[in-house]
Parts: sequence; structure tokens; C-alpha cells
Amino acid sequence: MRYLMMQKAGGAEPDAKLYADMAAFVEELTASGVLLATGGLDPAGFRMTSAGDEITVTDGPFTEAKEAIGGFALIEVRSKEEAIELGRRFRKIVGDGESMIHQVYGP
Amino acid sequence: MTDLSATVGAVWKQESARIVAGLLRLVHDVGLAEELAQDALVAALEQWPASGIPDNPGAWLTTTAKRRAVDHIRRSRTQDRLAPDLARLPEPTEDDVLRLMFTSCHPVLPTEARLALTLRVVAGLSPAEIARAFLVGEQVIAHRIAGAKRTLAEANVAYEPSAQLSSVLEVVYLIFNEGYAATSGADLIRADLCLEALRLGRMLAVLAPGEAEVHGLVALMEIQQSRSAARTGPSGEPIPLHEQNRGRWDQLLIRRGFAAMLRAREAGGPTGPYVLQAAIAVCHTAEETDWVRISTLYQALERLLPTPVVRLNRAVAVAFAYGPRAGLDLLDELRADPQMAAYHLLPGVRGDLLIRLGRPIEARRELERAATLARNTAERDFLLRRAAALDVPEEHGRLLGPAVAEFLAPLRPATARAYGQTLNRITHLAGDRTPLAGLTAARLAEIFTLSWPDVAPRTWNRHVAAIRSFAGWSGEPSLAADLQPRPVPAGIADRSPPPETDAPPALRERVLWILLRESAAKAGAVLALNVEDLDLDDRSARGATIVWRSGTAGLLPELIAGRTRGPLFLSDRRPGPGRPPAPADLCPETGRRRLSYERAAYLCKRATGHTLGRLRQA
Repeated sequence: MRYLMMQKAGGAEPDAKLYADMAAFVEELTASGVLLATGGLDPAGFRMTSAGDEITVTDGPFTEAKEAIGGFALIEVRSKEEAIELGRRFRKIVGDGESMIHQVYGP
Repeated sequence: MTDLSATVGAVWKQESARIVAGLLRLVHDVGLAEELAQDALVAALEQWPASGIPDNPGAWLTTTAKRRAVDHIRRSRTQDRLAPDLARLPEPTEDDVLRLMFTSCHPVLPTEARLALTLRVVAGLSPAEIARAFLVGEQVIAHRIAGAKRTLAEANVAYEPSAQLSSVLEVVYLIFNEGYAATSGADLIRADLCLEALRLGRMLAVLAPGEAEVHGLVALMEIQQSRSAARTGPSGEPIPLHEQNRGRWDQLLIRRGFAAMLRAREAGGPTGPYVLQAAIAVCHTAEETDWVRISTLYQALERLLPTPVVRLNRAVAVAFAYGPRAGLDLLDELRADPQMAAYHLLPGVRGDLLIRLGRPIEARRELERAATLARNTAERDFLLRRAAALDVPEEHGRLLGPAVAEFLAPLRPATARAYGQTLNRITHLAGDRTPLAGLTAARLAEIFTLSWPDVAPRTWNRHVAAIRSFAGWSGEPSLAADLQPRPVPAGIADRSPPPETDAPPALRERVLWILLRESAAKAGAVLALNVEDLDLDDRSARGATIVWRSGTAGLLPELIAGRTRGPLFLSDRRPGPGRPPAPADLCPETGRRRLSYERAAYLCKRATGHTLGRLRQA
């Protein structure tokens, strides 16, 4: 099953150790086939709303910097517990903050 | 809160390969390494509820397992050697994991044991999970794994395995296919095997990055897996590749497959079977399929892997590239292969090609035959629907299956059973809805050779007798024309009962043998002669296709004995009530049936030691 993990921005300022740990983590998960896709996100983004035939585009930012989504990872695991375990390892590396994790249906 | 044992299980699945592999380096025994790792798992389940989940659960399990191993070594080696110092033990490396895979896939093990052991020690599945995936009892898997460990220990395969990489690749691909073969909802656990195989393959690609075939296998699995959602319809029926909804293909996996292909190319070396199969899979992802390229790839694959399935696929590709006629020619070569005799895809593909050649009547027969051979209900229904959708008139005349049933019904049970063995096999391979008129002597002979390639002459003759009897009954005696009885060694033949002699056989046999010699005609043709066919003055029959000389001419009037029609050579007995011969084989004047080929051959062999064919050439 696949899970999409989204990280809120903010938290500690990244240092050299965090970069190194994160690179090793990403490499390990990519090699084992667990990490299918990952990337950082522009915290601002833009918003699109529809009402009837009307489409409205609004440029961000919309929330406080620490509430914005800063990055995502799409992982393939056997169970929710495995997703939690990987999330735990990720949070250990990045320090204080918040992740949101959703199961992905499909493709 | 999630269940703690579920967390332990999740950590275990992610770490077990490394843990067991590291222990294997210490203790040089897969069975022991796995037991020690299991001890660590048990310790986690005991301690974590009280102490909480450690910061690094994987490291905790690794250290605990290593401590157990050191304890074990201390206990068993107190005298001769110092135990290793725990603190100085290196962390498990990637090489250790690769060695573990080589060991669990070692060729010394039977295939089933390799699959089970690899899923157990490398993928970290429990025996219960493996048993569910292979649809067998947990005890079966436990025995298989225990047996595999014992075999490895006895063969002294522990740490420096001599296994080939190809053996590991084979195991991974078998696991994948085991899952791929399962499609329906109830089989989801089995379908998970595909993901396990992918995981093992991706692991292997990291461990042996220089091997093109590893990347080829990964590419092949990624691309096949990308179609998993699209390859079956709502009721589980297979959807052919070129009819699948490409929107349901998993683009992410396709990209991963392409990336693996690039790595395979970078690795270089000779092109192996997995790279070739992956290349074919890549071709199939293109919007416009390049069939010429695919048929070239299959040709290369056939040289490395000349299996019937590869040859069948090549024929399909050739048919798309160069037309159905070319494909059909390749398929006809395959029909003579015993491995293909009962393979439903062969008639299935023939049916497809015949449709494209505009020969729907034959196509329908082939599709129906494929349906008879298909093992899976969804596939059978699919084939029958395709056959029914063809716009062809209903078959005229009798169909093979019902005719056989009708033929067997009035026979005595023992005879019906004996003949049924032969005829049911033929029906199975030829298709029970094949019209009798569509069956040829050559096809029957082919089926005989496929079904009974090495049987004793007596057995062969029993089958031939059955089909001749059926052929005569059905009014198509020429069906068995290409099947000759085989000489039975004399010592055995002598035990047969003596012939019934209520009519003097000597004259009949003499005429037959002399006629064969003088005319040099085939015994079957001579036995098929009727009195009304003979032109006694011209010493010929059937428009002079059979011509005789004075020897036969002098004896014929005595043999005919005033008859005006009906078979020339008659059997000694009248037929039993249960076995009415075809009207053409019954003498209207004496009530006897035509002398059968088997009987004539037997009498000739017994009296002269020669076959009828020898007489003809004498």
C-alpha cells in the first residue's frame, strides 16, 4: 500500500548533519524501493477555486509559514505500522514539527 | 495507539534481512542465524511494553541478536577459541545480505524450498503469511523451511555459497509470478507477493549494481506490475495487453522500469534473458507497438531460452509484424511439441490468427478447443464467448465429443473403460466440439505421437485398435489411416489366445498375402476392397489402382464364393450384439464384418513372422 507523507515547514534550521542524515535515509529507502517519489514544495503556491463556471486563482501564501506544507514523500509499504515506523525515523532526523500521512488509493 | 506487536512486526520486516545476514556471518548456519534473530524478536516483544519502543528499534534488534550469537558461540566454543568481542563486531554489510540471498536461493534446494526460505529469512514473512500466499497449510511451509535449513547444513552451504546469481534471479521472478498469477480480490494476499518480489529485486539491484541481469529483472517486474490494475476486467477476466486501458497503468512504476533498464545498459555485458524480456516489456509500453523489434527480441530470447511459451510468444509477435500466415507457420512447428499438447494458449493463439486470416470456422474450433484445455473458469468463459461471437454457421455433422460418448455408451463396461482411455484423451486434445469431418488422419497421428510417445507396442496397439474401432463405427475409417500397429515381440505375442477357426482362415490369408505381394498396394486399401469393386476379367479393382496377377486370380473365385457385394475379406466371427459395425463393413450375405487391419496384421505376423507391409514389398 502507498502512503503520502507531507511535512509542514518550519522546525529547526537545517544544518550539515541533518542534510547528511536525510541524504542517507533517502538513499536507503530509494534503494529498498520503499520511497517512490519525494520532493520539496514552494510554501506559497497558489489556490484555485471553482464556483459554477467561475474559476478563481489566488496567489499564496495563505497560512503562517510553519503551517505550510514544505515537502512530501510517496512510500510503498506493507502496512500502516511500517508507514508509522518510517515516519518515526523521518521525524527523528528532522526534529520537532508535524507530518500528515494519508493512504493513497489507486493508481 | 497502534498495537505494539504490530510495530515490532513492522520493524522486523524492515530489518530482518540485515539482522539474519549479520548473524549468518558469525555462526555460518542459516537455521541458527534465523533462530537467534527470532530470539531477539521475542525479547523485543517482552521488553518493549515496559521500556517503551527504543529510539532506534532496528539497531536494538541487531544488537540484541548479536549478543545472543556471541553467547551461543561462547557456550559452544569454550575450549578451542575465544568468542568474538561484541563491541568490535562490524555492523552487517550489504555483502552479508547478498550472501544470505545466495544461500537461501542455493541450487542444492528444491525450488519450493528456495521460495519459502527466501521469503522467510530475506523478506521476513512469517510461515503463516507464506502459507497464505502459496495456498498451503502453515505446517507445510514450516516443514519446507526446516527441510531447507537442514539440507543447507548437510550440504555445508553456509557462508561462502557457490550459488549462481541466476539462481537468485530465478527465485525472485518465481515469487513475482506466483503473485502475478493471482488476480481476483480473494487473492490479494497472493498479489502482495509481487510487491515482495519487487522489494527483493530492488534490494538485489543495490547489492549487485554491476549486474545487468539484476536491473533487467527489476525493470521487467516494475513494468509488469505497472499494468496490474489494468490487466483484468471487473469479473476477473484477462484483458489482452493491447486492449488495456493505458490510463490505469502506473506511470510511476513504468518510469522506475525505464530507469532500471538504463542501469542495465550502463552495466553492460552480454544481453541476458531478463534484459531481453524487459526490453520486450518496454516495447509494449509504447503508443505504437513496434512488432518487428519485438519479434527480433523474441528471436534472441528464443536462442537463450527455447521454452514453448517463448516460442509461442515469438509466433504472436511475428504474426503482428509479418502477418498471421507467418505466425501460423511458427505455431504449426510447436504443435508437435509434447509440452504444448495440453497448453490452452496454443489453440487460443491459433484461433486468433485464423480469425485474422478470415477462416472463422477453423478459428471457432480452435477457440473451443482452447476453452476445453483452459484451467481457469474466467479464461474458459472468455474463450467460449469469443468463439460464440464469431459469425459462422452451426457445425454440420457430428462433433467428436458427443460421437465418442455415443460410441462408448452401448459397450460393455470393461471395453468402454479401455476404449474410453484412448478416446477421451484424444477428445481432450482435439477438442470435444471438433466436428468429425474436421479431424484429419494426420492430426490424429500427431495426437497419438504426443500422447503415447514411448509406450510398449502392445499398449500402442490397444490405442490404435480403439481409434480404428471408433473410426470404423463413425463412418470415417480413413481417420485411422496414418496409425499403424507396432510389431509385438514374439515371446509376448505367443501368449495370445489361438484364433477362432469356425471358417478356414488359410484361404483368406493366402489370398490376402498373395494379393498384397502382387499388387504392392497398401494393406488398408486391400482390406477395404468390396466384392463389387473387383473386375475379375481385368484382374484389377478401383479403376486399376489395385492390380493383381495369376496367383490372386486363381484363388479369388473361391474366396468370393458366389457373393456379389460386401467386404471381400471377412472376419471369422459375426459381430457381437453390442458392437454393430458401420454398414459398409458388414457383409449383407453372411452377416460378418470386414476383416480388421489389426486382426490381419496379427495373423500375418503369427504365421509368417512378417508385417503386412513386408509382404507387400517382398
